[in-house]
Amino acid sequence: MRLWWLRLRVMTVKELLQLSRDPVLLIILVWFFTADIYIAGSGISMDLRHATLAVLDRDQSEASRELIQRFRPPYFRLQGQLDSGRQGIQRLDQGESMLVLEIPPHFERDLEAGESVAVQLQVDTTNTVLGTLASSYAAQIVGRYGADRARDQLGITDAQLAAMPRIEDRHRVWYNPNQTDPWFMSISELMTVITMLSLMLPAAAAVREKERDTIEQLAVSPLTPFQILFPKVIAMTLAILAGTAVALFLILFPIFHVPVKGSLPLFFAVTALYVLAVSGLGLFIATISRNLGQVSMLVIVILMPMLLLSGAWTPPEAMPALLRQLMVISPLYWFIELGYGILLKGAGLDVLWDSVLGLSLLGGLIFGFGIARFRGQFSAG
Amino acid sequence: MRLARIRAVAYKEWREILRDRLFFTMAFGVPLLIMLVLGYGLSLDVENIPFAVVDQDRSPLSRDYIHRFSDSRYFDFLGYVERESDLDPLLADSRIRLGLVIPPRFEEQLRGDRPVAVQALIDGMFPFRAQTTKGYLAAINAELNQELLMDWLARTRGLTPERARERVEPVRLEQRYLYNQALKSDWSMASGLIMLVLMVSPPFLTALGVVREKESGSIYNIYASTLSRGEFILGKLLPYVGVSCFNILVMWGVATQLFGAPFKGDLPFFFFASLVYVICTAGIGLLVSILVSTQVAAVLLTMVITFVPAMLYSGLLVPVESMSADAQLQAWLFPPRYYLEITWGSFLKGLGWRDLWPPVAVLGGYAALLWGVGFLSFHKRPKR
Repeated sequence: MRLWWLRLRVMTVKELLQLSRDPVLLIILVWFFTADIYIAGSGISMDLRHATLAVLDRDQSEASRELIQRFRPPYFRLQGQLDSGRQGIQRLDQGESMLVLEIPPHFERDLEAGESVAVQLQVDTTNTVLGTLASSYAAQIVGRYGADRARDQLGITDAQLAAMPRIEDRHRVWYNPNQTDPWFMSISELMTVITMLSLMLPAAAAVREKERDTIEQLAVSPLTPFQILFPKVIAMTLAILAGTAVALFLILFPIFHVPVKGSLPLFFAVTALYVLAVSGLGLFIATISRNLGQVSMLVIVILMPMLLLSGAWTPPEAMPALLRQLMVISPLYWFIELGYGILLKGAGLDVLWDSVLGLSLLGGLIFGFGIARFRGQFSAG
Repeated sequence: MRLARIRAVAYKEWREILRDRLFFTMAFGVPLLIMLVLGYGLSLDVENIPFAVVDQDRSPLSRDYIHRFSDSRYFDFLGYVERESDLDPLLADSRIRLGLVIPPRFEEQLRGDRPVAVQALIDGMFPFRAQTTKGYLAAINAELNQELLMDWLARTRGLTPERARERVEPVRLEQRYLYNQALKSDWSMASGLIMLVLMVSPPFLTALGVVREKESGSIYNIYASTLSRGEFILGKLLPYVGVSCFNILVMWGVATQLFGAPFKGDLPFFFFASLVYVICTAGIGLLVSILVSTQVAAVLLTMVITFVPAMLYSGLLVPVESMSADAQLQAWLFPPRYYLEITWGSFLKGLGWRDLWPPVAVLGGYAALLWGVGFLSFHKRPKR
């Protein structure tokens, strides 16, 4: 039994040494955990900002100017007046403006006469996210303008307002009260990096032996397949955990001020569990490919859907029902719940135990399958 | 520079691709797969937001209020809970994204012409989703408030319901959505994904093609041969550019036929621009292959410099205009945003040469630069 542990340890050290002797690879790893996360976390926001708006004001009255002035930064940026409708279309076509607001003639007169008036808004919806947001903000602005005018005209005083049936919207946004995008983006990118490396590194380490035929040496050694493979996984897990620590303490906490509401040891434990689970998938990839070209192709095939369908970058609820059910087999889906739960929401094991259980079961299954396939290959060839 | 030699290298490379069955399948299969999976699954629509309610009133009016949420496709009603504190663990465990707290005497207050505060707890983990949820919430409340106000006006001022509506909502906003009238995110996504795939796949193929020879040592055959470095690079990369050209056709077909995205622009122009883009991204692979000497490093480096810019800095998810100044600089530095402009311009806006020549020119310049640097820094004599 002591010998068994010794062999495991020696092999792990060998893997770590091998990793440390590829300077380019090391630089890339450091880049991943620092600069890459910084780049993804800073500057990207999925909120509407400075949407360019051109105006065709056919009324040129005080009322129309007041409405126009309500389209303010940071959401909108006024670009000035247009002369004709054709000019508006041209600007939209060339992407110089995203929105064109058209106010009809006699806008003020009709409003004062108590008639209902329509203003037109043309929205460039090539980017549907932005188009939807812009149109919803514009509707809110115009709605509020209309409500203000209505109140003035009906002569409703503040005192009367208190005696009117009305719903007051008291919402609070939890966990990220100011909706700071870098918190979300940097954690998402960290999870993306962890996923990519846990798939790629163990698979690459296993296939490299095949490619260079050093696997023959290992096969004739007294090591069992498990003793050959598991050290690779341990070594890569250690490297990835170290990288995660670097990312957390050098980028996420000091630069983006991501709060830690939960327990960090729990986060690292969960990360280790996740890396192990995904490495199992990596080993499985290694069994079906003969060289690194094939490995990397397979990694992309697995990685892309996993990343984009697990809710790392997009809201998972809106996906078709079938895909939403399929997500359960993606380890990343569980990891996202756990990671955000621990870091941002301060959830502990009492709340998250089911996700931990889900991830462990899934991880054990994948890992066992990966090792079993590799073992089969060993005895066959 | 002799054509026959280039042809020989290209032919050798092509045979290699053909004989590696898995690699061959992947070279054509991966782009298609990404397109299908992401085209169907990737959507930024915020819908089916799961929510739970603490209804302390349990009156017909409060139930009617909840129905306004559960009947819309934006919300997915999961049930009632007893106390406000029961919402906390549900939010922490991500089972719900929104919790509503309806106060006691909700109906009584409203019927008695008094304002009522409804509390909403929103999960802010994903800021974009939280923002959109707030918008839906505001819209539902605004609509109800308008109805309440109309009702109030009709009662206190004796207006007819139609007249009351006109007084309550004097300005209407008529919106016209251009280019993607139905706000179908698949149209934008499917065409946008062509950009993503062509940013990731050609550099992978080329970088692996060259680094494989470096790692296995077979590149010494090239070093020792009469082949010039230009002939080697051209011959080596030609098959991969060819594979990617075929993929352009396939993906164009998938986007238009399967996802029903309209193609309104100039087809020859679009293919020409795509070819320039592929040559450009293959150049990125060439540079990567010169920098690194192992395949793992090549794969990881390619991922870093292609995937993140293509996903985040191209305008696919986040429009370039709404990025911060640093981020915009990055967007200008990488090729994907130019190609996305061409793709969306050709597909959705129906533009052609006249409007889109500047991005094509930028891509062409980019390609020339990458290939030039690649050519100059590729040496047949290893420096050692």
